Amino acid sequence: MREIIQLIVSFTGSLGFAALFNIHGKKVWFAALGGGLSWAVYLAVEFITPSPYLCGFWSTVAITLYAECMARIHKTPVTVFLVSATIPLIPGAALYRTMNWMMMREWEKFQKDGIYTILFAASMAAGMTLTTIVFRMAWQRMYRHRRM
Amino acid sequence: MNREEAEQYLYYAMTIGEQLLISGAEVGRVEDTIRRICMAYGASRVDVFSITSSIVTTMYGEGFGICTQTRRVPGMANNLGRLDDLNQLSRYICAERPKPEVIKERLAAIDRAPGYSFQMQILIYAVISGSFSVFFGGDFQDMIASALIGIALKLLEAFIKKSSINPLITVFLCCGAGGILSNFTVLIGLGHHADLISIGNIMLLIPGIAFTNSLRDMFSGDTITGLIRCMESILLALVVGMGFAAANLLF
Repeated sequence: MREIIQLIVSFTGSLGFAALFNIHGKKVWFAALGGGLSWAVYLAVEFITPSPYLCGFWSTVAITLYAECMARIHKTPVTVFLVSATIPLIPGAALYRTMNWMMMREWEKFQKDGIYTILFAASMAAGMTLTTIVFRMAWQRMYRHRRM
Repeated sequence: MNREEAEQYLYYAMTIGEQLLISGAEVGRVEDTIRRICMAYGASRVDVFSITSSIVTTMYGEGFGICTQTRRVPGMANNLGRLDDLNQLSRYICAERPKPEVIKERLAAIDRAPGYSFQMQILIYAVISGSFSVFFGGDFQDMIASALIGIALKLLEAFIKKSSINPLITVFLCCGAGGILSNFTVLIGLGHHADLISIGNIMLLIPGIAFTNSLRDMFSGDTITGLIRCMESILLALVVGMGFAAANLLF
């Protein structure tokens, strides 16, 4: 039940951010769908591995593929779909907690949450960068073959 | 193409690059767009260097020699709709090579394009706050409280922005107000968990996206830009933390 509610609100939350970023028309809905997808993949990977970093990594791999495909269908920059789709994963809450521990001078918790935030953001960034590179290489190859 | 025309085309290429950067494009895209536009108009070599706050372009070509222009780029915000429009425009320029007047007109049209109305923006703030309050484990009443505070924050932000002080102070005041209001809603019995109510509002203010993107910039080779954005987002997150901590001290 908790998972279903989380999926629904991750969709509406991404929808909100997509609109906040001034995306118009049909694209808003596809961007929000990406947000729902990212959390769905995260929950699915959570069954296999307990590591949140791996969940974050595979989830960003999935949505980067989704964003690259959507960008080609709608003829827009990838960022448009990618940024709104990553919203549910973004370690905003963890970043806030880190700063909050610092304010309260709880150095042990600050260290723990700080490392979590940096590692999670880094695994997301790695997922995005790797997928983008591999996808573009594969795409160029396919494109060249079709031309020949 | 003579010298005067070259200067003019480079000027518009730089304007498009500048607007892309302001709308939240990656540095790689900005450099690539400027290079493509200059190449389309017949430059033989184009060197573009861009970081978050500045663009430098030099283009070489027969007929006009060497042209260099620089831009100082103020601030940035995520305006992906505008980014999309600018990208369409640069595709059109590379394909059709229109006259400068046409580019000027299209740029003005993009500037005039309407965003979401103020009422709609208030609704957006409410939806985001409510959604993330539930996402992190809040119940139905927390969602209502968080959405209401989201509306209040939008109104406050619009009010503070009119007097246009330092953006960090705007964020600090919004966070302070958000912290006080979330504790207040728990006091009067509207919400149940002050921390889960405020997390919905925090998602609006915390630079989580900027932080993730800064690491992505560094991974893809734009180290300077990545470092600048990383520092900016950590500073902003610090201010957000300070705002809520200050509010919690009162209760």
